[in-house]
Amino acid sequence: MSNIISIVVTIAASLIWGLLLGGISRTVTARIHGRMGPRVTQNFIDVWKLFRKKTSIHHGGMFWMAPMFRITGAICVLLMVPIVIGNSVTWNMSFAGDVFLLIYIMFFGCLGMALGAGNSGHPYAVIAVSRGLAQMSSYELSFSIAVVAIAVGLHTFRIEGIVAAQQAGISSWNIFRFPFASAGALLAFLPMQMAYPFGIVLAPQEIPIGPPTEYSSRFLSLMFSGRALFGVAKLVLFVSLLFGGASSWLSLFVKTFLLYMYPVVVSSVFPRFRTEQSIRFLWFVPTTLALVDLVRVML
Amino acid sequence: MIDKVMKDLEIRFPLLQLVREQHNYLHVKVDKASAIDAVLMAKTSLGFKTLQLISTVDRLEENRFQMTWILENYGTTSILLISADFPREDCIVPSLSDIWPAASAFEREIFEMFGVSFPGNPREGEDFLLEGWKDIPPMRRDFDSEEYSMRVFGERQPREHTDPRQYIGDIVGEWNTPMGAKRARKEKK
Amino acid sequence: MYCNQRPEKPGNKIEVFEKITNMARANSLWVTAYGTGCGAIELRPLHTSRFDMERFGIAMRPTPRQADVLIISGYLATKTLKRVIRVYEQIQDPKYIVALGSCTINGGMYFDSYNTLNVLDKYLPVDVYVMGCMPRPEAIIDGFSLLMRKIKDGRAQGWKHYKENLDYYRENQKKIITDWDLPDYNW
Repeated sequence: MSNIISIVVTIAASLIWGLLLGGISRTVTARIHGRMGPRVTQNFIDVWKLFRKKTSIHHGGMFWMAPMFRITGAICVLLMVPIVIGNSVTWNMSFAGDVFLLIYIMFFGCLGMALGAGNSGHPYAVIAVSRGLAQMSSYELSFSIAVVAIAVGLHTFRIEGIVAAQQAGISSWNIFRFPFASAGALLAFLPMQMAYPFGIVLAPQEIPIGPPTEYSSRFLSLMFSGRALFGVAKLVLFVSLLFGGASSWLSLFVKTFLLYMYPVVVSSVFPRFRTEQSIRFLWFVPTTLALVDLVRVML
Repeated sequence: MIDKVMKDLEIRFPLLQLVREQHNYLHVKVDKASAIDAVLMAKTSLGFKTLQLISTVDRLEENRFQMTWILENYGTTSILLISADFPREDCIVPSLSDIWPAASAFEREIFEMFGVSFPGNPREGEDFLLEGWKDIPPMRRDFDSEEYSMRVFGERQPREHTDPRQYIGDIVGEWNTPMGAKRARKEKK
Repeated sequence: MYCNQRPEKPGNKIEVFEKITNMARANSLWVTAYGTGCGAIELRPLHTSRFDMERFGIAMRPTPRQADVLIISGYLATKTLKRVIRVYEQIQDPKYIVALGSCTINGGMYFDSYNTLNVLDKYLPVDVYVMGCMPRPEAIIDGFSLLMRKIKDGRAQGWKHYKENLDYYRENQKKIITDWDLPDYNW
C-alpha cells in the first residue's frame, strides 16, 4: 500500500516539477530575448485549458496510443531510476542489467510518438518523424556508448550500483571519473531535449510544429504532460548516471534544475542545424568522445 | 542601345507612336496585327528576354482595350513597352504562354478581370483570383462595383456623425484608462 | 463520422469547474497563425520584445487544431472567406474570433469593392472588434484584454451562437460563395 502511495506521489511530483521547469524555461528564454515572458505557471494553465477543450478529431488507433506510450515510457523510467537514494519503491524495482532496459524504454516512448504522428497522416508530421528517427539513431548511439563505458568502468550494469559507486564525495562523480563519456552523453542530451542547434524535429520555420500537428485538445494536453514527465525522467537518469544521484529531495531539485537550464540556455543563443549537419555532428563528435572513454576503460 | 532598337523596330513595323520616356525606356505603339510579331522580334533579335508584365487598360469611351507588354533587357537594363489597341467586343489576343510560361498567369488574370480571351493558353478559364464569378468581368469600366457590393454584400450602416466621441466615447472611458475601468466596475455594481 | 452531422448542443457543465476553466482559457489564448489582410502585419510586432504578447499567455499556433482564437486581420475577400470558414470550423470548442480594423465592421475603405465583404458578423460570429485602420499593436493588446475579460465573465459565447444559428450563417455564406464546395458540417 505504501508503495502505491509512494509511486503516485513520485509521479505527481515529477509531473508538477516538469511543468514548472517548462514554465521557468519559457521565462528564462523570454528574458534572454529581452521580453517579460509568461507566468511561471503558464504550462499548468495551458494543460488544464487543453484538457477541458472539446475533442472531436482523431485519426485511428495509434493516434490515440501515442501519448500513452510516451507517458508509459516516462513512468517506467521514473520507477526504475533511483530518484532519491534510499527511496523504497525505486530501489526495490532495480535489478541487474536495468541500464539496458532504461535505454530501450526511452527509445520506446519516442517511437510510440513517431508512430502516432505518422498515423495522423499530416505531411509535416511525417517529415518531422523521419527527421526525428534519423536524429535519434545518431544520438542514441553516442548515449549508449557513454553509458556502456561508465557501466564497464564501474563493473556494474545496475543503475543502483552506478549511483552507489559515486557516493564518496564530488570527485567520485562520473562526470569527473569519465569526462569524455560524460561530454558525449551531455552533447546527446541536447537533441534529446530538442534544444537548438539540434531542434530539427519541431523546426518552426519549415514544418511548423512537426509531429503534433494534428494533435488537438486532450491529446495535446496528455502530450504536454507526457513531455514534462519524460523530461523529468531524463533529468533524473542523467543525474543518477553522471552527477552522483540525489541524496535528498532538495539536492534532486537543485541538480535537475541546473541540468535543465543547460539546454535552455544553449538553445536560446544558437541557430538551428540542417538535418544532415545535425546528424553528421552527432555521429562524429559525441560518439568519438564516448568511444575514447570506452577504449580507456577496456584497456 | 535604345537608338538601335528604335531603328530596328521602325524598319519592320508601321509604328503608330514612339515615345522615348527615359534614356533606356521606350514606349512603342503598333497596330493589332503586328503586336505579337513585335513582341517576338524584341525577344529574339533585340535581346528583351524578360517579360515583366502584360497589362490591359479599358478605354470605354473609344471602345477599345489597350494591351501592353512590358519587356526588359537585363544586359543593358533597358525597358520596352509594346502596346496595341484591340476592339472591346469579343476581344481575342494571341497567347504568349508557350514563349514565356509566366505569361500564362497574366493572361488568366486578364481573362478573369476583363474578359479578354487568349486562345492557345493551356490553362485558360481556370480560376485565378475570383472563384465562381458570375457577373461581367469586374475590372471592365461598365461594371458598377458599388452597386454590386450593395447588392451582394448588403447595405452597410454608414455613420451619421463624424465625431468619434459619439461612437467610442464610452468604450474609451470604460477600458482605456485605469480609473475608467475602476469606475465602470463600480457603476456595474 | 464527424463531418456529416449537425453540431451537438453543448451539455450542461458544472459551474465551479467552468469558472476555473474560464480563468485558464482567458490566460492561455492560442492564436491561429493565419493572416487574411493587411492587419497581419500589425500582429508581428506583438511577438517582439517591445509588445511581447506571451506575457498574457497568448501564443501563436501554426495549426487550427490547437488554437482557440482566430484573428480576422482586416479586409476579407470572398475567396478568403471560404478558407476562413474551413479554418474556423476546424478549431475545437470553445473558440473565439477577434476582428481587426474597420473593414470587418462595415467594409471600411473597401466598402464598394467587388470582392470584399462588408459586415463580417453576418458570416461568422465575432466576439471582439478592434477599431482602427489598421489598429496599432497596443490596440490589439487592448482588444485581447477585452476578450480575456469577456471569457472570464463567460460572455464570449460566439461559438455557441454559431452552432445554434448555423442555418442563418450558412445561408449568408452560401449567398456570396457561389461555388460552394465545402462539407456542410465540418467539425
